Amino acid sequence: MAYAVEMLNITKTFPGVKANDNVTIRIDQGEIHGLIGENGAGKSTMMNMLYGMFEPDSGTIKLNGQEVRVSSPHTAIRLGIGMVHQHFMLMPNLTVLMNIILGSEPQKRGLIDVAEAKKRINAIMEEYNLPVNLDEKIYQLSVGEKQRVEIIKALYRGAKILILDEPTAVLTPIETDRLLEVLRKLKCQGCTIIFITHKLREVLAITDSVTVMRKGVVTGTRKTKDTSIKELSELMVGRPVDLNVPRKEFNPGDNILELDNISALNSRGLTALRGVSLNVRAGEIVGIAGVEGNGQSELIQVISGMIKPTGGKVLFKGKDITNFSVRKRRLTGMSHIPEDRLKMGLAAKCSIRDNMILNRYFQKPYSRHGVMNNKLLSEFSDKLCKDFEVLTPGSEYAVSTLSGGNMQKVVIGREMETNPNLLIAAQPTRGVDIGAIESIYRRLIAERDNGKAVLLVSAELDEILMLSDRIYVLYEGEFVAEFNRSEADEKKIAVYMTGAERQGAKDDE
Amino acid sequence: MMNKTKNVVNNICKQIGLIIIALVIATIFLALSGYDPIAVIRGLMESISGDIGGTIRWATPLILAGLAICVTYKAEVFNLGVDGQLIMGACAGTAVALVIPATLPAGIAAPLVIIVSMAAGALYALIPAVLKVYTGTNEVVSTLLFNFIATLFLEFLVTGPLTDKTSGVALNASAIVPKNTWLPRISYLAPSTANIGFYIGLILVVVMGFIFYKTTLGHEIKIVGANRTLAKYAGMNPNRSVFQVMIISGAIAGMIGAIEVFAIQHRLLAGFNPGFGFDGIVVSLLANNNPFGVLFSGLFFGALINGGINMERATDVPSAVTDIVMAIIIIIVAANFAIPRVRGYFRLYRKADNPDTGVKGGKTE
Repeated sequence: MAYAVEMLNITKTFPGVKANDNVTIRIDQGEIHGLIGENGAGKSTMMNMLYGMFEPDSGTIKLNGQEVRVSSPHTAIRLGIGMVHQHFMLMPNLTVLMNIILGSEPQKRGLIDVAEAKKRINAIMEEYNLPVNLDEKIYQLSVGEKQRVEIIKALYRGAKILILDEPTAVLTPIETDRLLEVLRKLKCQGCTIIFITHKLREVLAITDSVTVMRKGVVTGTRKTKDTSIKELSELMVGRPVDLNVPRKEFNPGDNILELDNISALNSRGLTALRGVSLNVRAGEIVGIAGVEGNGQSELIQVISGMIKPTGGKVLFKGKDITNFSVRKRRLTGMSHIPEDRLKMGLAAKCSIRDNMILNRYFQKPYSRHGVMNNKLLSEFSDKLCKDFEVLTPGSEYAVSTLSGGNMQKVVIGREMETNPNLLIAAQPTRGVDIGAIESIYRRLIAERDNGKAVLLVSAELDEILMLSDRIYVLYEGEFVAEFNRSEADEKKIAVYMTGAERQGAKDDE
Repeated sequence: MMNKTKNVVNNICKQIGLIIIALVIATIFLALSGYDPIAVIRGLMESISGDIGGTIRWATPLILAGLAICVTYKAEVFNLGVDGQLIMGACAGTAVALVIPATLPAGIAAPLVIIVSMAAGALYALIPAVLKVYTGTNEVVSTLLFNFIATLFLEFLVTGPLTDKTSGVALNASAIVPKNTWLPRISYLAPSTANIGFYIGLILVVVMGFIFYKTTLGHEIKIVGANRTLAKYAGMNPNRSVFQVMIISGAIAGMIGAIEVFAIQHRLLAGFNPGFGFDGIVVSLLANNNPFGVLFSGLFFGALINGGINMERATDVPSAVTDIVMAIIIIIVAANFAIPRVRGYFRLYRKADNPDTGVKGGKTE
């Protein structure tokens, strides 16, 4: 049987970078094929060539054994290739229906035949179990729903080969499960799926075979059933990776951070936190587990001082800091890795240096009487780039030239350099490849071992379990459970995350 | 470092190319309408080689207006109210000049009226800033509308409270301000009205460059402009930055008003401001919002405007031709942002038009 997709000896060079060097990928008919690799390994470039976004310098692409030239996404769609991009390509102000049929509307007497369109889309939604309300506007949808719209869009156009570019990076665990379910169904119906991801567990859970890329070349192709996380991560990083970072014995010190009955509103003025209390001690990592959107963002913003709580007190090193400004909190020893590095943690247009110096630019010796010592600041920033292994020719380059993982290193370097008593780490490994994840884990554990307090907020339950000494579960703005490291496991926590149970209530029985 | 120099040189060449394109198009316009086609270029050449005084006279307010615009632009605040602020500055300065004793030494009186003008400009710029920060009013709209208030207030003053009662006819102007408030002209360039305002402009260019690139204030303005959430997260106060840039911008605008009144007109005239504020936007745009660039783009537009005025005097070519050059430059700068996108769009569709899977045909770029 012919392969569904063959990309043979593909080479693609961008000015100054060889993105793909003689890469060959073969994908069987009707399989789910994982394509994994670190950031910048060339996965997306390969898929963009398959989807016609650009053409290879050399090499051939074959579909079902026939050589084709995919010169544009239009051609790709005509050939039955669909792609769900990492950043959705949807019009926020149009309805779901309009987004799906945009560009290939069924027509009747020169008008859009809405009834026909709905009929066709409903058939697809039913067949693959992809429910979405067709009359809602895109901006009203959750991330998971938007992704479903993208998948329906591809299927509506008759895609038989579906490319998904890091589809789970933006999803909650429950949404991820649902997506994987959908993919299995698509496979049963004869679709061929190419699944780009960082997350090895998902690869093992759903794919039939895997291609691993590193630095523009394929480092291995495996049948999923014959491989392991360990082997795959070695192929990806080029050296053995161990996320189980050894840690010192648990020996917590004094309370560093205490929240006492904190309530807060979200940006839309609705209650986001209802009387939460917690404490983080020196020398421990406290994890906040929970499905995103249950008050995590507001919790972090209250602690870091970006919003004022409507009730309750924040104590830091025993002092009431509820009314401290952000800067004052930072100066008393608080650091914060934000959950969304591009929205909150970095100015992408500005240079790496401009971003690196944010905690220091106003302090002696880096500036005196409001005049900055630019030379000293550049040295400072260059040194941090080196210490935190930011891959860049120099810190005068714009942050937007960096990959996601390197951007995160800039944020982490800046926030750790101040040697804080408390480090708030929100989604510290989001969109970061496994090699970088390992180094971030090592740094967080090192902070803990050095007697610092770390508050870890993450949507990845694995991450919480792997790193935390204690775990709180946040559900609808309340802590519904608290665990010690030894008593926590994934199943137990997941029950509380969905709000199915709460610890207090259970104890009453 | 090498890269940086190359970048700067590249940018300068690009801007010069832009000017040349604009001049060529303006020349075509002139030829089509039957005027002397090289009139603009001749006027420009004469401004540079002959009438340097006139060029400096017009460049001075343009450089200052360019600075007033670029400081707010750095913080992603848009001050379209430089015109209103400079009018208010001129009004306040004149009002004070007319009441202070004429015996006050010039060394005190002149700086005093400048400071009053700057303060008035800054205060007038502060109103939209307060509205923006506390009520979320879009400053583009509010600053624009405040211009009308200022223009009408100026007319009210020169026809009412401040009108020149000594002259028999209605002049729509205030009395001549006392000599001790007059700002000196550059004697070397006499008889033109080029004045020490130019030196003030030069100093301010350096000061603004220093503020932008060497001070913590400049860094905060940059970060606030690049990402307001980041600024807040890093412990800066974005609202304070909005106030700061608007105050600086308004104060510079007020200075323009003072220079126009005390160095050039020596009285407050109803229509003394030909729209320096909006010209300042073009000046800043052409300079890529760089204060040192503003100096050169201000000088260029000064020469252009001066050339236009001289040209009108000597030939039948209307000075409005210079507006065409300015407009073309705005269009080209705007197109500079748009063209790569438009081109990408066309490329996409040109490819789509190719027969689908054919191996031949279609140029690969």
